[in-house]
This record gives sequence, C-alpha cells and structure tokens, in this order.
Amino acid sequence: MWPSPSRLRQWWLNRLPSETSCTLTQRRIYLLPTRFGWTLLLVAAAIWLGALNYAVSLAYALAFWLVALLLVAVLMAYRQLAGLQLTPQFSEPVFAGESMPCTLRIKDTQGLGRAIWLGLATLRGGDVPGHLSPHGELLLSLPVPMPQRGLWPYPLMTVWSEAPFGLVRAFAYLRFSANLLVYPAPQEDMTDHQVSAQQGQGDGTSPFGHDDFSHLQPYQQGDAPRHIAWNVLARRDVLVSKRFVGASAASLQQLSWQDYPPTLDDEARLSRLCWRVLRCEQQGLRYVLQLPNEIIDSAASAPGQALQALALHEDAT
Amino acid sequence: MSQTAHRPGQLAVLAALLITAAPLLFFLPGWVAWLFTVMLAGRAWGVWRGSTLPPRWLVLLAVVVPVVLLWLTLRTLVGREGGVALLLLLVGFKAFETQNLRDWRVLLTLGFFLAAMPLLFDQSPLAASWLVLTLLALTWAMALLAGTPPAGSGRTAVVSLLLALPLMLVLFVAMPRLPGPLWSMPDSRHTASTGLADSMEPGSISQLIPRHDPVFSVVFNEPAPPRRALYWRVMTFDDFDGQRWSNLHAIQQERVSLSGGQVWHYSLTTRPEEGRLPALDYPLPGSADTALAQGGTLRQLIKNDDLRRYRLASASGASVYARLSAQEQAFYRRLPAGNPQARQLAESLWQRSPDDRAWVQAALEHFRLEGFRYTLTPPRLAENSIDQFLFLTRQGFCEHYAGALTFLARAAGLPARVVVGYQGGEYNPVGRFWQIRSSDAHAWSEIWLPSRQQWLRVDATAAIAPNRVEQSIEQSVAGAAETLPLTHGAVPGWWLAARQNWQTAAFVWQQWVVGYDAQRQQSVYQRLGLGQHVEAGSVLRALLLGGLLAALPMWLWWRRRPVASSPLPLGWMLLRRKLQARQIRVLPSDGPLEVRRKARALPEADYQRVKPLILRYADLRYGPAPTDAAVRHWLAEVKRLRL
Repeated sequence: MWPSPSRLRQWWLNRLPSETSCTLTQRRIYLLPTRFGWTLLLVAAAIWLGALNYAVSLAYALAFWLVALLLVAVLMAYRQLAGLQLTPQFSEPVFAGESMPCTLRIKDTQGLGRAIWLGLATLRGGDVPGHLSPHGELLLSLPVPMPQRGLWPYPLMTVWSEAPFGLVRAFAYLRFSANLLVYPAPQEDMTDHQVSAQQGQGDGTSPFGHDDFSHLQPYQQGDAPRHIAWNVLARRDVLVSKRFVGASAASLQQLSWQDYPPTLDDEARLSRLCWRVLRCEQQGLRYVLQLPNEIIDSAASAPGQALQALALHEDAT
Repeated sequence: MSQTAHRPGQLAVLAALLITAAPLLFFLPGWVAWLFTVMLAGRAWGVWRGSTLPPRWLVLLAVVVPVVLLWLTLRTLVGREGGVALLLLLVGFKAFETQNLRDWRVLLTLGFFLAAMPLLFDQSPLAASWLVLTLLALTWAMALLAGTPPAGSGRTAVVSLLLALPLMLVLFVAMPRLPGPLWSMPDSRHTASTGLADSMEPGSISQLIPRHDPVFSVVFNEPAPPRRALYWRVMTFDDFDGQRWSNLHAIQQERVSLSGGQVWHYSLTTRPEEGRLPALDYPLPGSADTALAQGGTLRQLIKNDDLRRYRLASASGASVYARLSAQEQAFYRRLPAGNPQARQLAESLWQRSPDDRAWVQAALEHFRLEGFRYTLTPPRLAENSIDQFLFLTRQGFCEHYAGALTFLARAAGLPARVVVGYQGGEYNPVGRFWQIRSSDAHAWSEIWLPSRQQWLRVDATAAIAPNRVEQSIEQSVAGAAETLPLTHGAVPGWWLAARQNWQTAAFVWQQWVVGYDAQRQQSVYQRLGLGQHVEAGSVLRALLLGGLLAALPMWLWWRRRPVASSPLPLGWMLLRRKLQARQIRVLPSDGPLEVRRKARALPEADYQRVKPLILRYADLRYGPAPTDAAVRHWLAEVKRLRL
C-alpha cells in the first residue's frame, strides 16, 4: 500500500532539517514549470508539429526558440533564490486568535536583484511579495494565524519566485528552529474576587521603591519613563534607569487559579486570568499569580513572565 | 499569488499581439486584419480607462457575425488563409474575455502561436527579422505580465532571448527533419501566378521580361555548361488554335532514347507552379519525388508549392530520338485553317531543300535574311497572326518566332511543337550559383525529323538575335534594359555588385534556412562527423555536443555578478571602512545600530560627526523609499567624512 500524496509530502517536509538561519543552495531549491509554462511548451510542440508537416523551416526556429526560452527561464527562476540568506527575527508574542507576524531577514549574498514571495507551506494564498536589490537586505513579515496558546514551532514556510516570466516556479521549504509564544486569548472578567491583598504577603518591602535614589541600571522593558536618566541618554546614547529604595504602598492583587468554580475548564480559566494580568499591568498594580504548579510575583519576575506562564501552563495531573 | 494582471502588462500583451499580427495584413482579406486591429485597440482603450468587459452574449454574437462573413469571403474556414483568419478573429475576441491573470496568459500563449502564422506565407529574411521583433515583444509582455518592474523588463527579455539563441540554433540544426509531411492540407489556391502561363500567345512571354523576380537557382556539381546550352525546359505546347498555343495533354509519355551529349548533375531550388519543375534540356529521370512527363518535362509526383531543392540530372547537347506513331505524327502536324501565305512559304521552302534537315536550315535562313527584328514591344497582331507577323510587321519576341517556326514546320508536314521555359541565367560568382529570373523566360521550337526519327531543338530567336542566347536579355534587346526598374540605360557596376551580394545572401538563406531539409541535414551531420545518418545515436551526440556549446554563454552569464554600483551599499561600505581605519571592529553582520554602538569608542567629537551619517543610513535603508537625491547627498557626505 502506498502512502497518500499528502502524507508523503508531510513525511518529506518533516525530514527537513530545522535551523536557525539558512542559505539557499541547489540542494534546497526546487524548480517546476507553472501551468503557464506547460501551456507554452504545448504551444511550442504544436508549432513544431506544424513545421514538421508543412516543412516551414522558420517555424522550427520559433518552436525551438520557445523551448530554449523555457530552459533559460528555469535558470532565471533558480537565480531568484540561489544564495539567498534567510534568518527568522524575534517575534513578539501574541494572544491566541490573533495572527503573528513572522518576520524573516532576507539578505542577498550574490549581488543579484530578486523578486520573491514568502508564504506558508501548508496554506495556499496570503503570500507576501518582496523585492531585493543587489547586496540588499529586506525584512519580510508573514502574518501567521495562531488559534491556540502555547509554545509553537516556527511555521513551515516556503519562499518562491516565478520571476521574471511566470513560466517556472523556483521554491524552497524553510524550517526554522525558533519558537513562537502565544498567550491565551484574554477574556473579560470583571468579577471582584474577594482576596485580601495583605494575606499572602509577609514583609512589606519591595525591591524597588519610589523614595530614595539608589543607583543606575541598564534600562529594562517596563521601566517607567520618569525613571529613565535622560541626561545620560543625551550624552552617551545609552538608556539607563534610576533605581530607588524605599517602602511601597501599592496594593497587592491576588490572581488565583482557585478563584473559579471547579466546573470551569482550564482554557477558560487561563483566558480570564490573562485578562486580569493584563489589567494589572496596565494599571501598574503589583500582583501575584497563583497557578497550580507555580506562583509568580510581578515584583520579583521579569515582565511578561506571568503571561508566559499562562501560555505554557500544562495540566498538572 | 496575485490573480489580477498589472495594467502595463495588459497593454504590453495587446501591443505585442498587434506586432505579431502585422505581417498578416498582407496575406489575409483586408477587413480581417483591420477588424483585429480595431478590436485590440478597443480592448486597450478599455484597459486604459479601467472599464468593465462587455457581456458575454454580446462577445459571442460578435464572434459569430465575422466568422460567417469570413466564410462568405473565403468560402472556407480551413486551409491556410481560412484557418489563419479564423485564428486571428478568435484571438481578437479572446481579448474581450480577459478577467484575471490566467486569461491574459492564455491570450499571450495564443500570441506565441499566432507568431508562427505569417511564416506559412513568407519565409524571407524580412519575415525572419519580423519574427525576432515579435518574439521580443511577446517576451517583454510576458515579463511585464509576471510583475517584473517595467524598468528592467526590456533588458530581461533581450538577455533571455539572446541566451536562448544558441540553444535554438543547435536544436534547429540537430533535431531530425522528416522527408515528407505527416498529413496534407486541402490545396490552397493562393499561388498568384508569377511565372509561365498555361498557354502561349503573342505577348504572354514578353510581358514577363520586365519583371525581374527570381524563379529558381541552380548549383552545378561540375563546372557549368556554356551559357548558350542553358535551355531550361518547363512546358511543351502541341496545339494551335490560330491565336494561342496550348497543351492538349492528349499524348502519353513518349519513348525517347538519348545519345551523345554530356550528363550534368545539379541541384535546383524553386517553388514549383502547378507541379512543374524547370530542368536543363534534356532532363533525365531525377530524384524520387519527380517524374518525367510528356514532352520531356519534369513534374512533381505530388503537387506542392513549397520552396524546395531538387537534385536533378540532364543530358545537355544530346540527340533526342523518339519513335512517333503515324497517329502521333499527325497530331503534331495539326493546324487550324487560315494563314495561307505562311503555308505557301512552308511549301516553297521545300523546293530549296533536299531533306527535312535542310528544310529547317532554309526556314532559319528565311528569318535571318528577311529583315526580322527582335523586340520586346512588337506591333499588335489580329487575324491570320502568323501571316501578319511573317510578311507584314516582322517584329517580334521569342514567342512570335517560336510560334511562327512551329507553324511553318507543321505546314511543311513536319511534326513540331513549342517548348517554353527559360534560357540562360545569371551566374553569381560570390555564391557560385546560377540565378534564373522571369526575365529569362524563353520559347523555342522542337521539330521532329522523320528521316532520323529525332526531335531537333530549333531556336528561331537565336537566328534573329544570336546575342539572346549568348548574353542576357538586357544586352540583346534594346528595349529591355530601359524598362527595368531603377536602371535607366546601362546598369552601373556597383549596382551589379550589390545585387550579386544580395542575391548571394538570399541564396544562402534559401539553402541553409528555408531549404534546410532532411537531405541537407544529413550532409551537415556527415560533414561535422556526427554520423553517416540522422538517427537516434547521432542526434543524441549532436544535441549533447551542441548543448554544451550553447550552455557556454549561459554559464558566462551566470558567473557575471553586477558590482555594487548603487550608492547606498557603496556608501555604507565606505563608512565602515573609515571606521575600521580607526580601529573600530565592524563585522559584516553588524546593522547600523550595532555600528553606532561600536562607534561610541571614538572620541566624543568624532562620534558626533559619524552618528548622524549612521542614523541617516538607517533611515534611507529601512525607512520609506528614499529619493535618489537624498541618497546621493548622503553618499557625498560620507565621502567627505575625514576621521
């Protein structure tokens, strides 16, 4: 029994090595005539047949010229992709249901101008075009729909070109080792979960307060603009934040897995928690996220860590 | 994948189609070509305005009406003219059915097919040049349709076609040719008769003389026979109705035996009319697709008016013996009533001659001594034309003399007929071939001598104007040169030289391009040492070898890399070099921001000068498309920078 074509294709795609960056060589580039290319070949054959029958010598020349043109088109299409260097760029996490712009940095290493398209190997349509000047570089973003939260492997992409005549399609499949993080889709939850801010908190000191200047530290995402040392930036073009020590009076939000009735399924819980985390971050409130197997204190963790925990949460059982 | 075609691409396709169809204007009914032009122009207008397509029923109706009209004009929709006209109309209407990219590509594909159509009518070098132009236009349109930016698309098309050219030549030479057609088409009666007519009357040959069209060309394997022996036989006429000589096709092939003379082998390239092939007098059975017909004329076995080369052989100067039955002798003696003076003359000539051969001499003497003149513009003849010519006007061209002599012979009781063909030809020393033109058309008589049972060629014209068979018509007839186009009076030398070179080019074109057939292909294979025959092995060898040669330009093109001449990468390279000169280690992979970070190691003042240049590079490179002026300005500043 033979495997079905789609399974064969899947098996073949799965065999592709996964890599951090790739340069296209003849081992990776496939070439096939397009429908238009086949039609033109058919026309050349018809002209040849007519030339044969009516002994029209110049018609032979026309037929053969078309065939030769098709061969040159193969070479030209191959040249669109040969030596192209593609590197995936870091993609900001998105929420489930959104589409993630998967950006590739595409670089010409051969001194050739190119016209290329980037698309998903598993999905037809929605491909994005890009033009590359000789020795040029290009960032090409392909929106990839992300229906579910979690850590996903980089989508299988295809880069292709039918330039310059549309007769031959050169294409290559790309499997990158990078991962894509997708947060749960936030779901509004306005219920006031009656948990005291003080209960879970032993000491009242925070690592960073607002009272006295302590030292300068490299800027971290999430630092308030007013903490940035602007005078340093102006002088040396480095972003640094001022750090202070002192007591914090901010109220503590408890976001707990247990806030919801046991009948609510995990994904719904995660979506609601996600919405609440987002609200806390928006309002600059300190919060503690309690999940069955981990607890995250916003003050003690990197920004986005809570959302990441929600994204990666797996059922403990 | 974009499914809509770009507007420049659409307009380019329409323009390319117009260029493709332009030569057909000369070969098809005028209104077809004009309708096609109007349709494409209309579609182009629609594309330009961005208006919608007409409804399908209207398009369908608009197809049916012209097709019916076409049938009424040509009475056929197949064959060469009908088929091509129909194709042209259908392409025109397909232009109104183009919604998306795929439709436009179908239209373009039809254009490539259409490009082959003018070749059915004409294969001259001019037609070939137009074919190249057509291919260029179609390829350009194809590039534009595929979304190639207009600026570089023309170059791409030219480069692609040039790279494809060597491969095309290899395929042209190496791909096997068939000796015969696969199937045959209804005979298209398009051949506008340019040569000899089916009958001969006063004026029918002399009217051909001012025309200078090439009729056939000949290459002799050996040194050519002398010019005066170059009688090219095409037709015989055996019936006279008082005004006109024609052929009744009443007599089957006669049995002839040749003796003496010399056998000449030659190849003759021509486009036969009505299956008639000219052949050197007297023809021997030739190549497989020809046959000797009545009166020693050569015929194609299958009528085909393609330009072709024939390998023929003739015995020039041979005596032609034939046994004619009493019936056949009577047939060759038949005369209509009238012309009493001529009959009388024929009788009186007998009194001076002891035998038939002497009678012929006497008749020629008569023409020579009685003040006959050889002229292209003889007076008109009416009733009893032979009498009028022999005794009144005494001015005539070869058809007058041939007709009159044949009449006299018949009146004297000798079987005789008129032979029509060509005499002489122009030798081209550059191409080493003989070119025979319509101005070499000639007529002479053949008289059967009962005493020897022999057909004797008797050229009365040679008796009047011996120059005619020694030199060309321009030198032997006073009026001929004056009526030749472009040359008033004597032909200047440079003109002759130019004409000979042009003839050579046309001859080579004819022999190597248009006439490249199975036979010639085999000789090429042999000469190149690829094999004795064109067969699978030798074709494979030829294709492999030729393919390697044809791949050479492609390989060279592939290795060629354009230098970074665009200002942006050039300036960036300069800038990084200047930083490196100050011990800033810049890696090739560093982007502008990394370079700026590294540049901080410079002293404050230098850093402040470099920084704006780096930042502006980032803007130009990654921001919205910059203007050329901005890039150039930046480059100038980079060049000025001294660190």
